[in-house]
Amino acid sequence: MKMLRLIVTCLAVACLLLPATALAGTTLVYGTTERVTDMDPANAYDFHTWEIFYNIYQGLLGYEAGETELVPQLAESYEVVDGGLGYVLKLRKGVMFTDGTPLDANAVKWSIDRVIKIKGDPSWLVTDFVKSVEVLGSHEVKFILHNPVAYFPSLLATVPYYPINPNIYPADKIVTNPSELKGGKLVGLGAYKVASFKRDQEVVLEVNPDFWGAKPKNDRVVIRYFADATTMRLSLEKGELDFAFKSFNPSDISDLSKSSKIKTITGQGPYIRYLCFQCKTPPFDNKIVRRGIAAAINRPDIIKKVFLGQNDPLYSMVPMGMWTHTNNFKYDLGDANMGLSKKLLAQAGFNKSNKLKFDLWYTTAHYGDTEVDMAAVMKQQLEATGVMEVKVKSAEWATYKENWRNQVMPVYFLGWYPDYIDPDNYTNSFAGTAGSRGNGIHFSDPVWDKMFVDGMKNPDMDERAAIYKKIQQMWTDEVPTAPIFQGNLYLFAQKDVYGIKISPTLQFIYSVIEKK
Amino acid sequence: MLFILLTIVFVVIRIMPGDPVSAMLGGHAPDKVIEAKKAELGLNKPLIVQYGNYLWQVAHLDLGTSMIFKQKVTSAISDKLPATIELTIFGMLVTLLVGVPLGAYAADNRRSGQDYLIRLFGIVIYCIPVYWLGLMFQMIFGVWLDWFPVAGRTSPRVFASTFEQTGLYIIDTLLINDWKALWDVLMHLVLPSLTLGLVLSGIFIRLTRANMLDVLRSDYILAAEARGIRHFPVVYKHGLLNAFVPILTMMGLQVSLLMAGAVLTESTFSWPGMGRLLLERIYLRDYPTIQGVIVIFALIVAFMSLIVDIIYALIDPRVRY
Amino acid sequence: MKHSPTAAMGRLIGGFTGMGRKYGAEWWILIIGALIIGGIILMALLAPLIAPYDPHDQAAGPQLAPPSSEHLLGTDNLQRDVLSRIIFGARTILGVAILAALISSVVGISLGMFSGYSGGTFDKTLSLIMDSVYSFPGLILAITFAAMLEPGIMSITIAVAVIYIPTYFRLVRGQTLTIKEELYVESARAIGAPNLVILGKYIFPNVIATTAVVFTMNVGDAIMIEAALTYLGLGLPPSIVDWGMDLAMGKKFLPSGQWWLITFPGVMISTLALGFTMLGEGLAEILNPRLLER
Repeated sequence: MKMLRLIVTCLAVACLLLPATALAGTTLVYGTTERVTDMDPANAYDFHTWEIFYNIYQGLLGYEAGETELVPQLAESYEVVDGGLGYVLKLRKGVMFTDGTPLDANAVKWSIDRVIKIKGDPSWLVTDFVKSVEVLGSHEVKFILHNPVAYFPSLLATVPYYPINPNIYPADKIVTNPSELKGGKLVGLGAYKVASFKRDQEVVLEVNPDFWGAKPKNDRVVIRYFADATTMRLSLEKGELDFAFKSFNPSDISDLSKSSKIKTITGQGPYIRYLCFQCKTPPFDNKIVRRGIAAAINRPDIIKKVFLGQNDPLYSMVPMGMWTHTNNFKYDLGDANMGLSKKLLAQAGFNKSNKLKFDLWYTTAHYGDTEVDMAAVMKQQLEATGVMEVKVKSAEWATYKENWRNQVMPVYFLGWYPDYIDPDNYTNSFAGTAGSRGNGIHFSDPVWDKMFVDGMKNPDMDERAAIYKKIQQMWTDEVPTAPIFQGNLYLFAQKDVYGIKISPTLQFIYSVIEKK
Repeated sequence: MLFILLTIVFVVIRIMPGDPVSAMLGGHAPDKVIEAKKAELGLNKPLIVQYGNYLWQVAHLDLGTSMIFKQKVTSAISDKLPATIELTIFGMLVTLLVGVPLGAYAADNRRSGQDYLIRLFGIVIYCIPVYWLGLMFQMIFGVWLDWFPVAGRTSPRVFASTFEQTGLYIIDTLLINDWKALWDVLMHLVLPSLTLGLVLSGIFIRLTRANMLDVLRSDYILAAEARGIRHFPVVYKHGLLNAFVPILTMMGLQVSLLMAGAVLTESTFSWPGMGRLLLERIYLRDYPTIQGVIVIFALIVAFMSLIVDIIYALIDPRVRY
Repeated sequence: MKHSPTAAMGRLIGGFTGMGRKYGAEWWILIIGALIIGGIILMALLAPLIAPYDPHDQAAGPQLAPPSSEHLLGTDNLQRDVLSRIIFGARTILGVAILAALISSVVGISLGMFSGYSGGTFDKTLSLIMDSVYSFPGLILAITFAAMLEPGIMSITIAVAVIYIPTYFRLVRGQTLTIKEELYVESARAIGAPNLVILGKYIFPNVIATTAVVFTMNVGDAIMIEAALTYLGLGLPPSIVDWGMDLAMGKKFLPSGQWWLITFPGVMISTLALGFTMLGEGLAEILNPRLLER
C-alpha cells in the first residue's frame, strides 16, 4: 500500500509540473446544489436562476449588494402619477446590450409585453398589477396599473420586469437554454456575460467589458452544480471552491461553522416554512381544530433535531427582519402547549377515545432530505397530545402540487420564498382568497380580503403597518397556516475571498467579490 | 423487445399520478393555464393517439423533446451517456482484472483453502449492495484517508468547458494534451469504477472458475501437462484462452446487471450519467426523457449481446449465423 | 435427466443424514445461510421483545451519540436508537422481499405452466413480453414503477415482484415444454384427464423442486432491490422503519464522522442477502450435483 501511495504521489507531482490550460485573471469558483430552470425572465421562477439574471442583466430598480433598500438601476428616476395608477420611469442613457442594441423605452415595453403574452409561471407578478406599458419618449416609459399598488417599486425589481434584448429573444417562445437564442449566445447588459452554459454541470460567467456600472472585482465566476451537499462540502474543505451557497446539510453547516479554515457568512433568510391546512375540508374547516394542532407544534424541538439548531423558530407568517413582524403565535398558542391543544380539540369533539385522525403530507427532495425528518418529528409532537393520530404520507413534487390542486392533502408542509419584498407577499398569498386557493389552502374570508386590498392600495406606510399587524393578530385566531421556522442563509467561503454580501432579498451580486 | 418495453413504460408512466405540467407550473397556475399547457404538450389527447404519435417519432429516430426543459431528448442523453459509458467500461475493467485471475486461480487449486476463500469472497462481494460499498469507500478512502475524490467527474477547478468534445473525458483531455485534467478525471474514476467492478467481480469469479474447471479437465490440457509443459502457461495461457469464449458469452448476459449497478453507483457518486438523468426526470414526470432513457438502456443491452454474438462467431468457427 | 421431485428430495434428505461427509463445503454454505436467515427472522419476530427502545422514540438518548454500552449502535439525529431501528427494520425488508418473491413466483409459475402447456399464439406473445422484461435491467424498471406509485409497502413489493416474474416464467415454461412430451403425461392425456388435472398432478410437482432454489436466490436479490429502492428514496413513508431508508438518511452524515449511521444498515442488508444467497447456493449444489462439478 505504501508503494502504491508513493507511485500515486509521484504521478501527481509530475502532472502538476506539466503545463495546463489555465484561464487568465481572477476566477471565482462557486458551488451550489441549486438548478437553473429557464434562462428566460418570462418563465424563470426560482431564486437561483433569478440570481444569475441579477448578474447578467439588471432591473429598472434594484438592490445594491447586501442592501434591502431599493435604488434606481437602469432607470435613473421614477415618478408616481395618476394617484398611484401610473409610474413614469426615466431610463439611463447610453446603456447597451453587449451586441450593441441600445436599451431604450421600446426594449422595456417589448420585454413587458412579452412576459404578458407568454403567460409563463411568474407572469402574474406583472399581469396582476400592470395594465399596459406606454412609450413616452426614447428613454421614458410609463407603467399603467390596474389599481394603485403601494409596493410596486419592489415588484419592478423582480426578474419578470427585467428588460431583455429584443434582437435575440423570440417574442412568443420561452427560452430554456441559451443555445435556443438567436445567435446562440445570451447577450445581456449586466456586469457579466454567459461564456458557457452546461446545464446541471457548470455555467461560466465572464466580465462584460461594456458594462455601464462599476467594474467587477473579479474576471470570471464559474458556477459548479453539485448533485449533493456532501460532495460540495468536501470540495470546499479541500479548497476546490472559493465559496459555496445553498444548500448545505445541517450537519455540514455545523461542521463548517466550526472550521478554522473556512469563513462563514450568515444572515437571516427570507425563507419560511409552515404547515398548511385545507381550510375547506372538514374537520379542518373548523378553526378550533386548526388552532388545536398549531398549539401542539414544538418549534425549538424541530430545529434542534432536524436542523441541529440552525434555523430560527417563526411565530408569524411575516418573517423576522421584515417590517411589521410580530410574534403572535408565541404568545397566543406557544410551543408544545399540550393543555391548550387538548382543550381546543376537546371543544371540537376530539379526545382520547375519539382521536383526531389525519394524514400529514410532505414532499420528497424538493425541500431537501430534512423533510422526512421534519414529518417524523411533527408526527411525534402531535401524537404526544394523546388526542391525535397522524399518518405521514409523501409524494414527490409533481404529484404534491397535483394533490393540493385536487384537495387530497388535509395537512401538509410548504415553504415560501418571497416574490417581492413586502408583508403582503407573506400574507395575501395564503389567506387572500385567490392566493390561498393557489396554494391549496382554500381559506377565504371577505373581511380578510378587504384588508388585503386596503394594505395593497394604501400609500401610507404607518397605516399599512397597522393593517399587517392586525392580520398577524387575526392569524393566531383563524390559523389558515401555522408558521414553523425561518431559514437562515449560510454561505461558506475560503479565507482569501472578500466582499461577499448576502441579504434577505437574496440578491447575491458576484461583482463585489474579490480574492486577495 | 424494444417495442414491448416501450409500450409497458409508456402506459405505466401515463396512468400513474402526477404529470409534467404539474411538475412544471407553480401552485399559482389557474386551471385554464394548466389545460392550455396540456394541450400544448399533447397530453389531452387519448392515450392511444399519444402512443401512435410517439411510435411514429421513434420510427423516425426522434426521441422527442423534453417536456420540462424543451431540450431534445437525444441531446440530453448524449450529454449523459458518455459518463455512464466511461464508468461502465472502467467498472468492467476492474471486474475482469479481479474476477478472471481469481477465478482461474481458484479453479487451478480446486477444493483447496484458497479456492474456498476466493469463492466465499465471490459470494460475499456479490451480496454487498453496490451503493453501500460505494459509501464505505467514500468514507474510508475519500473522507478518512483523503486519497481519492469522493464524487463527481472532475474537480470544481477543472472546467469541463475547456476540453469537452466527445463527453468521454479521458479522450477529451488527451485530445488537447491536458495532462492535469486527465489526471483529475482518472482520480475521479477510481472509487466509482472500483465499487462497480468489485461487486460484479463475484459473478466473474464464479463463471471463470466453472469454465476453467471444464477446460482444465479437457484432454488437450491433460496432454500438455503430461508432456511436461510448465504448469503456469498451460493453465493461465491455454486454459484461460479456451475458457474465454464462454466467459465472454456470460459477460454479454451480465450487461443488464452492469447497467443496474451503474445506476446505483451513479447515485452514490453523484456521477452525471444516465441513471441520475432517469431518476431526476422521473420526479419531473418528463415522459419523453424517461422513455428515451429506457430505449437507450434497451439498445445498449441489445447491442452488447450482438457484439458478444459476433465475437463469439469470430472466435469459434463452429458458430455460424 | 429425470424430473422427479422425490429424487431431489431424496438427495436432500440423504444429505442431511450424511451431512458434511458427502457434500463437504456445500453443506456448510447451506447451513450458515440458513442460520443467518433464521437468526434475522427470529430477530424480526421478536423485535418488540428484544429491541431496547421503540424505533420511533425520539428521546431514546442524546443526539448523534456514537455506539456505547447504552446505545450499542449509537443514536441518530432525531435521537432514536439505531439498534432498535435495525431490529425493527428487519421486518420491513424481510416482509417485502419474501412477499415479492411469493407474488412473482406464483404469477410466474402459473403463467409459465399455462403458457408452456397451451402453446400457440398465447405462448408466443407471452414469451416475447417476458423475454423483453427479462433482458432489461430489472432495477431500472423497478425504479420506474416505484417512483410512479404512491409510497407504501404494497407499491414497493409490487415494483420488486414485477421484475422477477419473467425469471420464473422462463424456467417453468421450459420445463413444462419438456415434461409435456414425457410418456406419463402423454398417457394421462390419452386416457382423457382434464388439462387442469394434468397441470396440477403431473407438471406442477415437477417444476416446483427447481423453483425452490430459484426462490431462495430470488429472495436474496429482492432484498437488495428493496434496499436499493428505499435507498434511492423511493417507496416508503417514514412511519416504516427500513434499512435502506436509514442508510439514505445517514448518508448526509458521511463527512461529519457519524460512521455508525451508514455502517450498520449496510452490514445488515449484506448479511441478510448473503444468508439467502448461501442457502440458495447450497441448495442448488445439493439438489443438482451436476452443478457441483462446474
